[in-house]
Order: sequence, then structure tokens, then C-alpha cells
Amino acid sequence: MTATLRMAEMTFRELLRRRGVLGLLLLVPLVFYLGRYDQTGQAIRFASLGVGFAVSAAALFSAVGGREIEPLLALSGFRPLQLFLGRLLALLTAGMGVSALYAVIILVGQDVAHPQAVAVELALTTLVAVPLGLLLGAAVPRDMEGALLLISVIGAQMVMDPAKDSAKVLPFWSTREIITYAVDGADSGSFDSGVAHAVGATLLLVAVSGCVTAGRLRRRRHLQFA
Amino acid sequence: MPFVAVGRKVAVMGYSVGAREGYHGMSEPADRKILLQARGVVKRYKRRRVLTGVDLVVHAGEVAAIVGSNGAGKSTLLKICAGLLSPDKGRVTVSGHLGYCPQNAGVMGFLTPREHFTLFGTGRGLSRRESDRRGRKLAGELDWAPAEGVLAKDLSGGTRQKLNVVLSALGDPDLLLLDEPYQGFDHGSYVDFWRSVWEWREAGKAVVVVTHMLNQLDRVDQVLDLTPGKGRGNR
Repeated sequence: MTATLRMAEMTFRELLRRRGVLGLLLLVPLVFYLGRYDQTGQAIRFASLGVGFAVSAAALFSAVGGREIEPLLALSGFRPLQLFLGRLLALLTAGMGVSALYAVIILVGQDVAHPQAVAVELALTTLVAVPLGLLLGAAVPRDMEGALLLISVIGAQMVMDPAKDSAKVLPFWSTREIITYAVDGADSGSFDSGVAHAVGATLLLVAVSGCVTAGRLRRRRHLQFA
Repeated sequence: MPFVAVGRKVAVMGYSVGAREGYHGMSEPADRKILLQARGVVKRYKRRRVLTGVDLVVHAGEVAAIVGSNGAGKSTLLKICAGLLSPDKGRVTVSGHLGYCPQNAGVMGFLTPREHFTLFGTGRGLSRRESDRRGRKLAGELDWAPAEGVLAKDLSGGTRQKLNVVLSALGDPDLLLLDEPYQGFDHGSYVDFWRSVWEWREAGKAVVVVTHMLNQLDRVDQVLDLTPGKGRGNR
């Protein structure tokens, strides 16, 4: 537990010191939000997807940036799971701070039927975004490729009709479902199915990204310790 | 080549540093425990065969140098020994804890050296305080006093490499694998580095150093030359 928390602490410290990148990433949801400020549902949806993009991008850059040092930390005694969970924990903590900030911005500026649902939706978006970024970071060779893939995912999320069944394969399907409930009331969307989808997507992404990380940091078969 | 390393006999050179101490009380390497044993290591990159059945055995209290021209596979062999890269063929057996220093700085740019000590120390089960104490002691042996609040990205190349050396030795490993560890070191730091290597040797550790070339300051027990056409194995 100490090793996981120490990894989380150091990842969090490193993240907070990248002020330039963090500032630019934090600006993305604000730009999205202000662009649709006069349409409540659209404004919240765009801000939420902006938060999803910013948090996923931070996780992606963190994962790619950690590739050099993680094998050395594994050699120094960390288990791959501790490294993965530590990074996950740090990013979730930072991401929840971002989602709380945007919950306040949105709830001050918009009139919605269920304000609590907006806060929950933003938290769930962060919950999905972190392992999504970690998975992209573990799977692509460089952060540029990961960023392009992430833009594709967010773009598809923006243009795809959420009523289609195929839209449910996208990681942030829950975002719009819960926002519709929050803005228009219970008849227009489902809070429960949105939450269930977000939790399911998170568990799947955590499992896959954890397995990819563990595979990358596995002990090679040719090496034996006497 | 100006170094002398014949078989397993150490040749003490006419170096000018103040570490002329002999290796008192050390038994012959063959009598000591094998800490690294690499057998029949083969590695190809696409069609290019880099390592062709390389063997390397390093005992406790022994320093081995891996030399060779650019692209000869020195770093590849060390990564295979550290378990960071899989060979196409061959096996590696390590006894005890292993420390590895990469050729290029594998550090977190936005953490300070002392935060690195804490992080790497945690992996070895050390407390924050003990990690910091050991890290600063090892840094001092390389003539480096980590300044408070300076991030790794702002260190000079040589100092960042010292950080890597310190991190590889922080957990008191039995076997140290050092990949061109003194790149960017000034002369004094280079001398300090070799003095540390000899102290680790005296303490019964096995040290493997990858280098482009050995010079008269480097005192090693065996040399593995991976230069193509020079044959394989210990010289």
C-alpha cells in the first residue's frame, strides 16, 4: 500500500508542476462551454466532453512520460500493479479536482432540473477518462498518436446520435444520458443507465489498461533469480 | 588499448588517482558466488544479428567491462541482463538484488533528485528518511550535493547521469549493471565514479560497466569485447 501511495504522490507532484500543459488542458472545457453557453444542454455536454478530453490527455501524457522510468521502478522493487494503481490514483485525484471546478462553473452559470446529477456526471466522465488515457498511453508508441486517437474518440462522441445502440460502445455515452436527465428531468434520460454505463466502461478500461501495463512490465522469461 | 585486464587477474595500472589500494583479502573470483550468468544470448534486430551466443559470468567482488564499437550490442546485452529486453535465445540468471543504470537519463523531469531517492527507496522498502540519507551519501561519493528544489529536468547532463547512478545503487544491490554511466561527467567525477566502483567491488558486489573504451583509469577484472570480428567471450 505504501508503494502505491508513494507512486501516486510522486505522479501527482509531477503532474501539478507541469503548469503550462495543465493550464492549456484546463482551458479546453472552458472554450467548449463558452462556445455553447446560451444552450444549457449543449453547453454542459460540450464542457463535459472537454473535461473528458483534458483528463484523458493528461493521463495519456503521464502514461507515455512514465514509460522510461517504470521499468526502472519495477527493477527497484515496485510491482507493476502498484505502479499502475499509483498513477491511476494520482490522475483520478487531479481529475476529480477538475470536474469539481467545472461543476461549480456550470452550476453557477446554468439553470438545471437536477444540479447534483451534473456533478455526478462530471465525476463519472473523469472516472472514464483516466483509464481511457492510460490505455491509449500504454497502447500507442508516442503521445502524438495517442492524442490523435483521443481526438477521434471525442469527435465521434460529439457527432454520433446517442439514441443508436452503436453509440453505447463509445466510452462517454453516459455523459449525454445523464446530462439529458439533469437538464430536462426524468422523462428525457436515465440517470441509472448512465451511471451503469460509466461504471462498466471504467471497469473495462481499468482492466484492459492494467493488463497492458502489467504485460509491458512483466518479468521476461529468460531472466531467472537464483 | 591502454587498459590491462587479463583473464581474471586485475592489473593495477599507473593511474594517478589516490585509490591505489589493492584488493585485500579477496579470494579468487572462481571461488566466489556467481551473481550474473548469461549463457548463449542471441539477439537480432530485424535481419541484423547483434548478439551471437554471448556468454558472461560475473562473480561477487568482480568488475566486468563490456566494450565494443557503436551498435555492437553493448546496451542490448545489458538490457537483456536486466530483464528489460527479451533475447531471441539464451538465459540469464541473477543472484540477489539487481540495480540498473540506463545510458540515457530515465528520470522524472519534474521531480527533484531527493524525491527520486524517496520514490526508488520505497521500491526497496526504505523509509523516506533512510532513502534520502542513502541517496545523499551516494551522491556525495560522486562529488554531488543535490540542491533543494531543483528539478531533474534542470540538472546538467552529467549531474542527471549521477542521479541515475545513485538511483541504481540506492537499494544496495548485489549486482550493478551500468550502461555508459559516466557520460557527461567531468574528470573529477569520473575518478570518483571508478573509486565507487572499486568500493562496491571490495564490498563483494558484482559490477558490469558498458563503455566505449577503457582507459588507464579503469581497473576491471574481465573484459567482454563485442566488436564484430573480435570473437566473443572473455578476453
